[in-house]
Amino acid sequence: MMRRVVVGLLVVAALAWAGWRWLRPAPPAPTESAAADSSGAGVRSARLYFAARSGDSLVAEPRELVEAASLHERVATLVAELDHGPRGGGVAALPAGTSVLHVFYDDHGLLTLDLSRAFQQGFRGGTGAEYLAIASLVRTLGANLPEVHRILIVCGGEPIATLGGHLPLDQPLDVSDWP
Amino acid sequence: MSGAIRRARLAAASALAAMLLAGADWRTLPRGEGPDAVPVRRIDGAPYVAVNDLARLLDATKFWHGDVRKLQLRSGRHSITFTVDNPFVVVDDATLWLPSPVRSVRGELQIPAALVDSLPRDPALARLFFDARRSRVIVLPTSGTIGSPTVTASGGVTRVSFPADDPDAAVVVARSRAHLRVRFGGLFTGAVPDSLPSGGLLRAMRPIAAAGGSAFECEIAHEASGFRLGPDASRRRVVLELFREAVAGTEQFAPEGPRGPRVLRTIVLDPGHGGDDPGVMAGGAVEKDLTLALARVLRTELEHRIPARVVLTRDDDRGLTADQRAEVANHARADVVIALHFDGLPAADARGATAYCPPATFTEAGDAETSRGGSFQLLPWRDVAVRQAVPSRSLAEAVLSALELRGEGPTRLRDRLPCALLGVNAPGMLLECAVLTSPADRERVQQAEGLRQLAATIAEGVVAWQRNE
Repeated sequence: MMRRVVVGLLVVAALAWAGWRWLRPAPPAPTESAAADSSGAGVRSARLYFAARSGDSLVAEPRELVEAASLHERVATLVAELDHGPRGGGVAALPAGTSVLHVFYDDHGLLTLDLSRAFQQGFRGGTGAEYLAIASLVRTLGANLPEVHRILIVCGGEPIATLGGHLPLDQPLDVSDWP
Repeated sequence: MSGAIRRARLAAASALAAMLLAGADWRTLPRGEGPDAVPVRRIDGAPYVAVNDLARLLDATKFWHGDVRKLQLRSGRHSITFTVDNPFVVVDDATLWLPSPVRSVRGELQIPAALVDSLPRDPALARLFFDARRSRVIVLPTSGTIGSPTVTASGGVTRVSFPADDPDAAVVVARSRAHLRVRFGGLFTGAVPDSLPSGGLLRAMRPIAAAGGSAFECEIAHEASGFRLGPDASRRRVVLELFREAVAGTEQFAPEGPRGPRVLRTIVLDPGHGGDDPGVMAGGAVEKDLTLALARVLRTELEHRIPARVVLTRDDDRGLTADQRAEVANHARADVVIALHFDGLPAADARGATAYCPPATFTEAGDAETSRGGSFQLLPWRDVAVRQAVPSRSLAEAVLSALELRGEGPTRLRDRLPCALLGVNAPGMLLECAVLTSPADRERVQQAEGLRQLAATIAEGVVAWQRNE
């Protein structure tokens, strides 16, 4: 008898809890003011390219970035986001710790990109990793800076012949050659 | 329970189910190939695009005014103002009435896709296109679109005609008969023909990935003697003409050797890295040691199959510069050069083999035109290997095919001149034989039998290339 009472009380309690969970007011839906673009500051959407896990290609990932005033800031922000890595299904392709030291744009579509020493010193891998690192960088800058058509990569203020010894970097890279 | 709560729960459950069924975050864009595009989704049956995606496509900055629930996008001198739950949108100084109201879903505004047809036509503002068939909004390149090509053949000339908004933006980027590639500035919105005219010089055609436009790869018959690419008289189309007989003003294909067995007297194997440069190191495997071991085994395998001299750029553990490697190959008068490497990739599940060979950017015009006293093409010695782009690609395809058949793939082929072939005056490729960061690949090549099998497979590919059947 006592056992039936206990079981009955447990069933009633469970039903009451379930009913309370179902009937209670839903939490307020997030309002627009909670969104990332809610402040008075400008926010821009960027498209970043990371390596696919298969190593075959790049994968695109949209990301919201606070608007940068100068070209240097825009490039530095994009490279920093590549360095932070993907939030989706891709893999970071840029050598860890890579940052932008200087940029120079010549008004003819050529961007000279001076990267920190970490770009070269932090590189590990073979031709595939080298290809993906360069492609990730060139494609991201090309997609978000439409005025840039060619990119010359230098490192620590000096020209570099290659990143890891497999692919030449001594000449500007045509953005359209890196699909 | 109120109806509103129930509807909200149902909507949330439906959205979650849809996301689970899709197997991915709906905001995640597809692979990096193709045009810049964002997905369109249906809300109450109407197509909508997320405002963050729209802002990215328009290269716009967003400003939210919470007190009046308005969001403004600013791109250059243009502005677009949305009001939540309101179908009226202010574009610059004009007010538009959209077929459905702007919605707010999970804190992000959703904009009726119909808006993209009403945006101002201004070169400074991205031109958007609502692709209802594929449920996406895409950015049209400044060169517009490329339509479905038509192919005709008559009188020894085959013409491939592409409708194009900007016919001047078309260019030939690779000129081998087997892989003639034409790149356009516009976005391809049509379809390639189901069949080609018999007796024509075009064997096959397919669209390929291209950044900021579109591209096609064509296979041309060996009987073709030259080609010409340019706008037609109306300047509304780009015409690729293929000529059976030599005609003045045509362009030449990339140089390629005669058909039949290739002369293969000297093979140069270039084991990558060495000395202070170990290359990729993973799980106890060191690339410089593996490349040297593979080169030695491959030398034996080749000598058993082909009466050729096999030269190694290094036969011990020492480092060589790219110039020194090229000097060994050129001094040996190499008929083919294979740079042997093992890859390391960011993800451990990536595996297989990749070949890098020179792109077909050089033409036959140099020798031919010079002999007629016409123009000539200067080529830096650094890039001399691109003269051998066609046989190099054939070599890469033959070796990768052999690897794929032996289950040592997946395989990839990239048209990119590697450092190992700078200044090398011979057909060649850089071959990443396996991926050392992949446990499966690494275990295979670390075993003597696995390395011997790999060498035998590469040798089979070289023999197939030499036969040129």
